[in-house]
Amino acid sequence: MAIASTVRRAYAWHGVSVLILLAFAASLYFASKQIDYTWRWQRLPQYLISTGGAEVPAPFDGTVKIEADGKTLSITPLLGGGAAQKVTDVEVPQVGDGEVVFKGNTLGKKPGISAGPLLIGLWLTLRISAVSLVFALILGVLAGLGRVSQNPAARDVSSFYVEVIRGTPLLVQLFIAYFFFAPTLHLSAFSAGVFGLSVFTGAYIAEIVRAGIQAVPKGQTEAAQSLGLSGLQNLRHVILPQAIKKILPPLAGQFINLIKDSSLVSVMALTDLTKAGREVVSSTFSPFEVWFTVALMYLILTGGLSLVVNRFEKRLSRHD
Amino acid sequence: MTDPTVLISASNIEKRYPNGTLGLKSASLSVASGEVVVIVGPSGSGKSTLLRTLNGLETITGGEITIDGHVLHERAADLRRLRTSVGMVFQQFNLFPHLCVLDNLMLAPLKVLKLNPAEARARAEKLLVKVGLDDKAGAHPAQLSGGQQQRVAIARALAMQPKVMLFDEPTSALDPEMVGEVLEVMKQLAAEGMTMCVVTHEMGFARAVADRVVFMDRGEIVCEDAPAEFFGAPKHERLKTFLRQVLKA
Repeated sequence: MAIASTVRRAYAWHGVSVLILLAFAASLYFASKQIDYTWRWQRLPQYLISTGGAEVPAPFDGTVKIEADGKTLSITPLLGGGAAQKVTDVEVPQVGDGEVVFKGNTLGKKPGISAGPLLIGLWLTLRISAVSLVFALILGVLAGLGRVSQNPAARDVSSFYVEVIRGTPLLVQLFIAYFFFAPTLHLSAFSAGVFGLSVFTGAYIAEIVRAGIQAVPKGQTEAAQSLGLSGLQNLRHVILPQAIKKILPPLAGQFINLIKDSSLVSVMALTDLTKAGREVVSSTFSPFEVWFTVALMYLILTGGLSLVVNRFEKRLSRHD
Repeated sequence: MTDPTVLISASNIEKRYPNGTLGLKSASLSVASGEVVVIVGPSGSGKSTLLRTLNGLETITGGEITIDGHVLHERAADLRRLRTSVGMVFQQFNLFPHLCVLDNLMLAPLKVLKLNPAEARARAEKLLVKVGLDDKAGAHPAQLSGGQQQRVAIARALAMQPKVMLFDEPTSALDPEMVGEVLEVMKQLAAEGMTMCVVTHEMGFARAVADRVVFMDRGEIVCEDAPAEFFGAPKHERLKTFLRQVLKA
């Protein structure tokens, strides 16, 4: 009886939270009414999935010749004098016969369904986050090990790295990556974005790794030492397997931060989800719908990731 | 040093902490092969510190320690080699919680002694029988009682086939009803002729098993004697006070 009534009371409170959320949504709606905003959700789907056809880019700099069928373009390279390349199924050519095109220019459109700008932006966000994550992990683990190393040089360098990165804003770091490192190291905008994001996230991962290692009781190292294990063997077989369980939850949080932080690369000529959102706003004049949709898309990415990590964590903690 | 029966010889060990306080004052101790030496004393007297210097877990600022004729170097490789001949059992067991009991015993023989897995396994299983825990080979430390964990820790140290075993208050973290099972294993080891150095508050164990009892106070070795004289006719004033306090309880 008592349990049944407790369960019933819990359900009642869940009902209350649904009501609170509904009230919040309603107040947003009426607030937008106040400023005379017309919601046009019907405009959004075409920016997710485009039925207008996919754009066909020029493969290299060259001169266009339209073949007899009107759908095949053959392009002769401007430089190097290689053989002409045929681009087929261009339903609506947007270039004229004999016109000079440069790599990436739109030649025309292919019919059919394709990803709209928001989905293309989402894909770039996903790619840049995933690649940055790999490099950030490598950097973070190395710097984290450096922080707890016996070697003073390793400690100094890692501390310097962590302090400098954590003490400066990510936006400024991305500008430095884009305006200084991209031209000096000959990086593309994408690589510069990956560079900036992984160096930034790596510093935070380093602190997570350091804290995880230091959370393993000192007695573990003493036991390993007394058995004659070397420092490396101790790290590999005793410390890291225990530290990983302590590292994983904050690490997942850091990965989610990375996905969100990646929105800042929109300042460096990269059309990620945020930049795509800005472009769609300027062509639809529907900022409310677009930004809510963009937020939802980020939420799906981060929510999916935390689900995966939760499952992984459960598997790791089976033995405690 | 020339006496071949001396396994551990510590002479004039001094341990000064960075803040200037002295942890050990000119402590000298030698342990012969097959001997059981029990170190007692009030808390903070430096007995654990002295024990931990004997396998290099604690650095020293003066004196010299030799194990089986080799000077305990600060050089990592030498220190590591010497440590394999000195087993250590800790107050808090310090088992590896992520490994099952069998893997706890096999890790060092596999990685340090480079035994093949079958050999290491056979050795581990034999030791688990010896400490009465062969049915717990697949269990993880968290599934065992304190007494069982400490017996696993003893077996883990024995798996390296050390020449001497150091025990740092092995029963102090145990519930009273589990102290007996751990002391039983230690008595059995002593009877088999293992060289042992034990820091403990178990006066009964000292009286029954020790060949020699050492009394430490304020970082120095005050006196040492055979257990009968040590407990029956204490000569030193500080020892008398100490014994009155611990035996009264």
